[in-house]
This record gives sequence, C-alpha cells and structure tokens, in this order.
Amino acid sequence: MTDPHQTEVFERLVRPHFDRLYRLAWRLAGSKPEAEDLFQELLIKAFGMLDELVHIEEPGSWLCRVMYNQFVDQHRRLARQRMHLVDEGHLPGQGLADLAGDLDPVDDRERLEKFRRLDAALQQLSDEHRLVVLLHDTEGYKLDEIESMTGTPVGTIKSRLHRARARLRQILDEDGTIS
Amino acid sequence: MNNRHVMEEQELLDLLKDYPVPEAEAGFYDRALVRAVHKGSRRQRNRWMLTGFGSAIAAGLAIWAISAMLMTAPQLPDAAPTIPGVTIAMEQEHTVRLVFASAEALDSATLTVSLPEGIELAGFPGQREITWETSLQEGKNLLPLTLIALTPAGGELLARLEHDDRNRTFRLRVDVT
Repeated sequence: MTDPHQTEVFERLVRPHFDRLYRLAWRLAGSKPEAEDLFQELLIKAFGMLDELVHIEEPGSWLCRVMYNQFVDQHRRLARQRMHLVDEGHLPGQGLADLAGDLDPVDDRERLEKFRRLDAALQQLSDEHRLVVLLHDTEGYKLDEIESMTGTPVGTIKSRLHRARARLRQILDEDGTIS
Repeated sequence: MNNRHVMEEQELLDLLKDYPVPEAEAGFYDRALVRAVHKGSRRQRNRWMLTGFGSAIAAGLAIWAISAMLMTAPQLPDAAPTIPGVTIAMEQEHTVRLVFASAEALDSATLTVSLPEGIELAGFPGQREITWETSLQEGKNLLPLTLIALTPAGGELLARLEHDDRNRTFRLRVDVT
C-alpha cells in the first residue's frame, strides 16, 4: 500500500513544475508519445527518490536535470543497440498539427507555415545544437541553467548557440522564411 | 555583423521565442501522477525484496517482479492523432521504419499490421492483416516494413502493439505516386 501522505508530499513537490517539464520533454523528444513516455518515466523515478527530493532546494531544476539525463541514457542505449532514429520517427511540423485546429484563416496559417519551416530547419541541426537553441532561445533557460542541466561548460554552450543560430539563419534565409 | 544579419537574427529569435509546443492532453498529468505512485512504489518494494533475498533466488525473483509489474500495468493512452505520412512509388519496394518507444522491456507483445487495400507487405502477398509476437527492449525499437503498392489508391497503415491490457496504435498515411 502507498502511504497517502507520501503521495501528497510528492504531488506538492512536483505538480508546480509539470508544464515546464512537459515542455522540456517535448523539446528533447520531439514527438508526443515519446514526450509523454519521458515525462512518465521521470515521475516514476522521482517518486522512487522522494526521500532525496524533499531535501532539494530547487526541485524544478533537479527534475529537469534528471529528465535530461534520462533522455541521454535512452539515446546511449539506442546507440548500443545499433538502432538509429529514422525519418519516420520525427516528421517536420509533426507536433504543430495539434495546434492547427482553431486558427484564423490567413495570418495564423502563415505563422504555422513559418513554424513548420523552422521545425524542418531545426531537424537539420545536430542534436547538441538543436537542443541548446531550443532551451535557450525558445524555452528561455539561462546559460548557467543549461550548464547545470547538461553538464556542458558555458563556453561550449555559447559556441553551439552561435553556430546553431547561424545555420538556422542560413536555412531560413534561403527558403525565404526570414529576410 | 551587418544590418541585414542583425535583422535576420532578430527575426529568427522572435520566431524561436514563439515556437509553440502543444499542451498536455486534459487529464494526462493526473494519470501520470497516479502511475508514478503505483510504479514508483512497486520499484521501491522490488528493491527491498532484492536486497532481502539476495542472489540465490535471483532468477525466480526476477520472474515474480516482472509478473507483478505486468499484472498491475495501467492502460497506455493511444498515440497522438497526428498522422505522419510517406509517399511510395507503384510496384516498387519501399522500406518504412517505425520506432516504438517502450518504457520497459516487454516479452511476448503482439504486433498487428493492417494494410490499406492495394498495399502489400513484402513476403506476405494478398494479406491485409499480419500479426506476430515480438519482444521489445526498453527504449526505442525499430521495425522496418517493406511495402509494395499494387494500386495508386494509398490509404492508412495501422500498427497495433498489444501487451496484456495495454495497447497502442500507430498510424501511417501511405500515398502512392
């Protein structure tokens, strides 16, 4: 039997961070089923570490770090299995279709098209470059937060950010998305 | 950086800042929380059991732990309604690769592939539905399917994965040129 008090404490600690964690899962995984799996696995792991979690000053940052590490571990396992991500695993604009329901006829469709192109451009970046640009420029994480989450030095993050933006500018300039 | 680059950079940053993520489905957080408490508790119990009994009965214990895990496993939600697609040429073999992400290793899962009319799976001529048993590893599992289009109609391919009371259906739109 689960102790109801334990469940209550756990929920109080993690629920305020759900939206942020779900967004992070989406940015890391790139598709809904995988984002949901990542989110779910994080909660299972975090509940198992409740004794540690209650003493952590910033549970939100801690949870982000654990989720990131889970994601990286999953990818390492994948590499060991000699399997690889394939075209059909993530299609450009896949997640955006969920947002297309209530759009105004012209303006929002144009915006959606821009996001689709951005999404396709992001898929052309390396994993490291895509992740850093999404965490910093889209999700608003500070450089030191990304350093703490990923264990990558700030200097390297800055360099990746610079290169990622330059490549995105180039791709989006060529296809006329930005001018 | 010249003026044009500065403007492009600003435009890019504005686009990235607004780049959306779909919200979680209604009720997803609550369901995830319930599962976490159930499965997290079980893992805690399993750890205690493993520590207590040691390695002498490790094999038996592993079977018990897996059985217990599966008996109480919750229903997984179906995959997103978004349907990815591929375009294949008539009468030519085309391999598509489906990726199944599993949170845990699963033995004896049942996979059923349902094909639209006019599309066949290489090696299974004339069959619209093919079912077989498979095992999934924890993490991502790759399933290559070699398709052949016999008519230009195309349609939707369904891959249904079932394990005990859980199932997940993947959809793939197949267009033919």
